Amino acid sequence: MDYIAATGGFVWPDLPQQIANGILLGAIYSLIALGYTMVYGVLRLINFAHGEVFMLGAYIALFVSWAFGFSPAGLANNPDPKSSVFVLGVMLIASMVGCALIGVLIERFAYRPMRNQPRIASLITAIGISLLIQFGGTFVLPVSPQPNINETVNPFSGTQQITFKPAPAALYALEKTKTAELVQATKEFNAVFEKEKKERKIASKFQLSPEGAAIRDRQANVEKELNDARGKISQQSIGISLPNGQLIMFGTSIGLMLILRQMVMKTRTGRAMRAASHDFDSAQLMGINVNTVVTVTFVIGSALAGAGAMMNATFLSTPLTTFYGVNPGVKAFVAAVLGGIGNIPGAVLGGILMGLSEALVAWAGYGPYKDAVAFVILIVVLLFRPGGLLGSSKVEKV
Amino acid sequence: MRFWGVRIGSIALAIGGCLLLQVIAEGSLTDYWKRLLLLASLYVTLSVSLNLINGITGQFSIGHAAFYQVGAYTSGFLTVTYYKTHQVNMPPVLWLLLMIVVGGFFAGIAGFVVGAPSLRLRGDYLAIVTLGFGEILRIFTQNIKEVGLAYGFSIDPKIFYVSMGWMLAVFAIALCRNLLKTAHGLQFLAVREDEIASLAMGVNIKRTKIAAFVIGSALAGAAGAILAHGEGFINNQTFGMDVSFIILTMVVLGGTGSITGSVISAIALFALPEILRSLKDSAGDPLKVTAAWFIALFIASIAAIAVLKRLSDHYHGPKQKKVLYGFGSVLGAIALQWILTKTFSQIPSLVTADKTYEIGTLRMVLFAGTLVFAMLLKPKGLMGHREFSIGNLGGLLGPKPESPGVEH
Repeated sequence: MDYIAATGGFVWPDLPQQIANGILLGAIYSLIALGYTMVYGVLRLINFAHGEVFMLGAYIALFVSWAFGFSPAGLANNPDPKSSVFVLGVMLIASMVGCALIGVLIERFAYRPMRNQPRIASLITAIGISLLIQFGGTFVLPVSPQPNINETVNPFSGTQQITFKPAPAALYALEKTKTAELVQATKEFNAVFEKEKKERKIASKFQLSPEGAAIRDRQANVEKELNDARGKISQQSIGISLPNGQLIMFGTSIGLMLILRQMVMKTRTGRAMRAASHDFDSAQLMGINVNTVVTVTFVIGSALAGAGAMMNATFLSTPLTTFYGVNPGVKAFVAAVLGGIGNIPGAVLGGILMGLSEALVAWAGYGPYKDAVAFVILIVVLLFRPGGLLGSSKVEKV
Repeated sequence: MRFWGVRIGSIALAIGGCLLLQVIAEGSLTDYWKRLLLLASLYVTLSVSLNLINGITGQFSIGHAAFYQVGAYTSGFLTVTYYKTHQVNMPPVLWLLLMIVVGGFFAGIAGFVVGAPSLRLRGDYLAIVTLGFGEILRIFTQNIKEVGLAYGFSIDPKIFYVSMGWMLAVFAIALCRNLLKTAHGLQFLAVREDEIASLAMGVNIKRTKIAAFVIGSALAGAAGAILAHGEGFINNQTFGMDVSFIILTMVVLGGTGSITGSVISAIALFALPEILRSLKDSAGDPLKVTAAWFIALFIASIAAIAVLKRLSDHYHGPKQKKVLYGFGSVLGAIALQWILTKTFSQIPSLVTADKTYEIGTLRMVLFAGTLVFAMLLKPKGLMGHREFSIGNLGGLLGPKPESPGVEH
């Protein structure tokens, strides 16, 4: 998740971009944090294996993309397989279903036997499961060379530009003329290149005759000037540029969160979950099947992590390892605690704050410290609100 | 008179034992084994000191490696800056002792800093703060040029004494054991069992919690100082979150609150990966296993756990029979593993060269597996709240009295 680049310190025009990056990153943190917070709400268990479920979700998405011909071998055969919304949809569903299954299996075989034991014992089991998946995975999953989901799987390449304050008009005019010049120069260059290819049997553009070379150099020159102009525009204008993939990621995250909210607040299962989270034992006495509730909680939490993993791995195309889930897992856990663990809106808020703080610290030029600052904020918040931002700290009664 | 005789006698015995260990180690062990012996002692110290915070006082701290790091970095840094450049005329042993104290002191301060918020936080919130402190420290040290950024730094001169590590371990054990025999020590237990009740009984909860944090982290810092000087090189990787988790595991697996349990599981968990790494086949090469063997092991251990779990939860017959059945199921699992290995070896793709691993590379998997299985079987740890002594050996097979203490 290291796509927030350090920008060298308080470059004000970069601020809106970094805020946008932070919110987008925060949405993914929120999605993972929801899994932590829901499990904690019901079972009072820090599910340390959640980050590993995230990692497995990314791998499931990878395998599905391979099945559609985006594997290294497949791309060697057919360099341009057809990417479509359908492929993305299958990847998303497969990740969510796969992660839900893994989450339920972990709960059934590792956490359920520990339910009536001291909480620290379940915590150690969770850590053990997490280590088991991380290290066991290196023998089962492809890790070397590090695979990544090919970025051509995303049919929505391109970026969206929002400009708040444009650069001087002269620059735009310059860009326009240079673009036109480039088109012209490229046309000339191609003509010369094709001609000489036929007449002199040359293979590369560096073997052109002197006249051809002059045309080639002019084309390269125009291209450089155009890039300079574009660079100046991006330096002098204030705006946000967002890759389409990340926008889809953000939209889907928000959509999933809204669905979750409806489910928790409006359905019978949701009511049962809230009851179990409020008081596990009383809920049981009221006839709620708590085992079902716990299973549903793990299904939802893990599916959200799977969705986050699929989108993160696809739209950012980061290389995967079996430790892929450790860093997002820890960050999301901190986000959940920051918002008040066990509290669903809190997890969303915590995730966004986490993403923002990371982006802003990087923007301020303290990139290397961005992982630490998350914890500093957490500690400061906990000192003043021991139950997290939205959580209530219960007063202990005798 | 007898009182002091016993005290002085046992102290002399402990120091003598450690020195004897040093003599034996210097005389007959290779550098590799000497290093392992020292590291084992450090893990004993770490696990006993975390047990004081986590098991005895009941404060859920999961970032113990941070204090280890404070001790290692401060003492290492002082040695690098002062020992050679300022021509300190001090024999290395004395300097190391001084550095142990200094490392412990600074780690104690860090413990105070972390312990203070624990007055307001409890349970998982405290856990995440301790974890966060470790991460903050790790990230900050890897941005400080004086301690070599993320690459780490060498400590010159390297001062390596196996006896020093074990003396610290014995000191930590004795400190915790004796503390629990005093009225001050009982306050730690009282805070664990019930904060409000102990408050009503006049226990100063704040002071007790902070004392636990300061003592526990000072011991960890002292261990860090020995590590820094014994290894001669430290970096951030030595003190990551995984190290914290390993120490925590040692405490919980040994039984939270049981000092002897911490010692036993620290040594066992430290030794397990190292033994696996050093296993050799008849030709002297590292032992290799096939994927077939590994899958068979996985299935057999799940079967064994299922049977043993059922036995321990639902079998109420005589204890001797239970132990007998337990042994029987373990033997059965070993047999099952053997049969399954033979069966799976018929599948050619599971025994090819690229599906054959050195057992050393599997050690983290086996470590994690052991952890999960041990927790499923004995959720209260090996010893629970009990302590090991020659006296309760006899009770192992017969009926045992209910252990006192409320689970938290």
